[in-house]
Amino acid sequence: MQAVLRLPARLGGRFHISPVLLSLSLAPMTVIFVLVTVMFWVSFQRGIFGTATAIYTFENYRELLTDPFVLRVLKNTLIFAISSTLFALFIGLPIAWLAERTTLPGKTLIYTIMTLGLLIPGIYTAMGWTLIANPRIGILNRWLVDLFGFESGPINIATPIGMGFVQGLSLASLAFILTAQMFRAMNPSLEEAAKVHGMGFGGILRRITLPLAMPGILAAVIYIVTIGVATFDIPAILGLGNRVYMLSTFIYLKVHPQGSGLPEYGITGAVGAFMIIIAGLLTTWYGQVLRQGHRFEVVTGKGYRPALIPLGGWAIAGWCFIGFYALISKVLPLLLIAYAAMTPYFAPPSAAMMSRLSFVHFYGMDWDLVVRGLKNTIILVSVVPLVVVLFAFCISWLVVRSRRRVRYLLEFGAFLPHALPEVILAVGALMLALFVLGDLLPLYGSVWLIAMVYVVARLAFATRAINGSLLQIHKELEEAAFVAGLSNFRTAWRILFPLLRPAILSVWIWTALLVYRELTVAVFLGVQDNITLPAVVWSYWYSGGINKASAVTLVMTLVLTPLILVFWWFGRRSQVSVN
Amino acid sequence: MIGHVRVIVVSVISMTLLFAETSRAASATPLAQLIEGAKKEGTLRGQWSQNSFGGSQGLAELVAGMNKKYGLNLKPHFTPGPDMQRIMLRLAQEAAAGQPASTDVYMGNSQAIFDAMKANVLKPTEWASILPRKIPSEQGFDPVAPEGVAVAFATTVVGILYNSDLVKGKDIPRRLEDVLNPKWKGKIASTPYAAGFRELAMPGFLGREYVIDFTKKLSRQIGGLLRCGEAERFTSGEFLMLVLTCGGNDVNVLQSTGAPVAHTVVEEGTVLHIRYAGVPKHSQSPNAGALLTAYLHTPEAQAMLWRDDGMDLHVYPESKMKKDVEKVRAAGGKIALNTPQWLASLKGYSETQKELEKILREGSGSK
Repeated sequence: MQAVLRLPARLGGRFHISPVLLSLSLAPMTVIFVLVTVMFWVSFQRGIFGTATAIYTFENYRELLTDPFVLRVLKNTLIFAISSTLFALFIGLPIAWLAERTTLPGKTLIYTIMTLGLLIPGIYTAMGWTLIANPRIGILNRWLVDLFGFESGPINIATPIGMGFVQGLSLASLAFILTAQMFRAMNPSLEEAAKVHGMGFGGILRRITLPLAMPGILAAVIYIVTIGVATFDIPAILGLGNRVYMLSTFIYLKVHPQGSGLPEYGITGAVGAFMIIIAGLLTTWYGQVLRQGHRFEVVTGKGYRPALIPLGGWAIAGWCFIGFYALISKVLPLLLIAYAAMTPYFAPPSAAMMSRLSFVHFYGMDWDLVVRGLKNTIILVSVVPLVVVLFAFCISWLVVRSRRRVRYLLEFGAFLPHALPEVILAVGALMLALFVLGDLLPLYGSVWLIAMVYVVARLAFATRAINGSLLQIHKELEEAAFVAGLSNFRTAWRILFPLLRPAILSVWIWTALLVYRELTVAVFLGVQDNITLPAVVWSYWYSGGINKASAVTLVMTLVLTPLILVFWWFGRRSQVSVN
Repeated sequence: MIGHVRVIVVSVISMTLLFAETSRAASATPLAQLIEGAKKEGTLRGQWSQNSFGGSQGLAELVAGMNKKYGLNLKPHFTPGPDMQRIMLRLAQEAAAGQPASTDVYMGNSQAIFDAMKANVLKPTEWASILPRKIPSEQGFDPVAPEGVAVAFATTVVGILYNSDLVKGKDIPRRLEDVLNPKWKGKIASTPYAAGFRELAMPGFLGREYVIDFTKKLSRQIGGLLRCGEAERFTSGEFLMLVLTCGGNDVNVLQSTGAPVAHTVVEEGTVLHIRYAGVPKHSQSPNAGALLTAYLHTPEAQAMLWRDDGMDLHVYPESKMKKDVEKVRAAGGKIALNTPQWLASLKGYSETQKELEKILREGSGSK
């Protein structure tokens, strides 16, 4: 770590870039470049790649540009991505503000509720909402039909906006964590000054708090929009079955032809090529925000006194909001998982089904497979966040502090994997391991190949979170340390890391959780001994074994919940000590 | 002179005996060699979908059975994999890259075997010499895939899956047209890959024109498209029927749990989806893989396949699947056997399938 950071070469001057820092930043960029190159290679092929049956063609691009169905898919995807982002922000942003800027009691519980959301696979949230709001079997619809005498259920969850709502419930946790750091590190002096000058609560929120939090909010928007574009589970459960197609389900149909011959990976490569353009536009937009970064520096050497807003009786309203969100997005799917894990087959809850509950699916589980998956998942959850934090810190520092042009490349490179459907990265990694590295570096079938893709795929999330926090730390703190004679490493360790510790801790645990639940890459690159736990759950669910899948999910949720509680307890204590 | 004759006679007798013994030894060689080879291999890796052939539990039972039959001590090592086509694709890429195969035995459908023939992935084998019994012959059905790369071991029958609590009595479809009844509009589903229809559209069956016209009507009738494995969408009542299935085998398994599902074959006819097993050329335990393939043909393995995955090979006398096939034959319905040979003989199969998929995907009801 000694050379991770090079501090200002001279006061007020340009920042010197250490070769080691640059190398650590460019290492993941090299991997990303190789994977994207492979993606382009794949996009010009049809047939079985790497074999004599593969042919080079522009057909994938032609099909993508001329098929009117693709246009309909893009329109649905756009509506879905925007609505899921709005719903996620509508829920996540106020909860982040309540957790970090107010005196609301029980904050550890808030973090636990928001974190638990990531442990619950989206397939259960989707299935839960099918039982609530499906026009035919939805409980809510049946209740409305009985009450108002409608001919059929008036609510249809299987629309792009309906699915966006369900996806928004899942993504609210991410919106929460991406913006909580911003609220946590915010200096209240501007708000206090506004209050002294007679500005009301609404005015302060609108004119002071939200503008200060804007980089974090924009980062969250960009991040969640791209997730909305690429997400698969909820569009698959709610949309595919009802012929409402998104980009992810369109890709799914191309990659899983099931009966009509070979998967069309080339199409996914061509989609990826277009996604790079979108990533470029989003990165440019985000870059413009960063260029105004100095306007958002709220943590300076002149004083850093986070203060909390007393809520008084409004705390009850705050907890009602959080409680309702927890009920519909966490408690309901968890109950559904528990119910499905104990029923002989999946059917709506009824007295008859309740009388048939048993533990038969726990007895019949392949525990050897579960343990194998658990072992690999533990390796990934332990290693990937560490590497991501190291790379992300180097990249973020260069992006935020440096004035070199390389920062644009780094910012674009770090964001790019997030904008690409993960299956594209997985295809690239597979081809790389099989046909380029081969026995030279035997990554094929190993957990390290999955780890490599996870690291580059999670860089966007980590750099967004650390960028936001770094933007709020005035560089005068580093300059002061430099004047006081601290070495580069000691300045980073004594000044930046303590101030960034909440952000780094958050990046750590959220990267671990995202790695824990990641599915697409794990399923695609899993061969024999590198299968992960989510892939085990998916294997049961995908093959019609929803009850066994529920049993595995329930066991893992019960095991992980105490660990998460301990982590957040430790995290809160650590934060208190920093403050 | 007599001495010479005696020497010649003795020599001839000795040579004859030696030749007979050598021939006997040679005839026993393939199976014995496989057993000896499997003893050294120690592990049998299997990879297919968790609900195919009983998943991990199915492989464990099959390996336990073959250990007993052949005096082995193989350990099963199951890893759930994607669909049959994608596993075959994976095998082809591993072979091209010089990597060991991720499964020691391939078990999948005829389309994947057809793909494997083109990619030269599976090892040609003289199956007759190692199978425990002769597969009964049936007109138009050769159980051994071209060049001996795989051998058939199970059959599924394509039809209509329905929720038996919500579709009863006269509502149960007898003919394809029955599913177009307006009362089912928006309540039934089909598959995104046009399972069953692609075969029905072939010459000599219902024909391309009829099936495309029917699929257009069906596309306006269905509420959605589901994978064949999504049976919970029917047990929950979200959808009432799946038209058509990839085979009714999962219903056979689900019914044993008391789930309200049933499967019916329409009078016009059906498609028999044949399941094949073969050994990848780059298998890490090729002997164990070949032995498992042979073991699948024993009556006990056929019973296991029925119990774990609701399927067996319809030509064996004890087959339960045979009853479904005979019912269709008795009703005068046509039967198409989806085999690699059949696929190789067809023209325009892939194009027709794509057209059917497009109709189902982009039907007037789609958004």
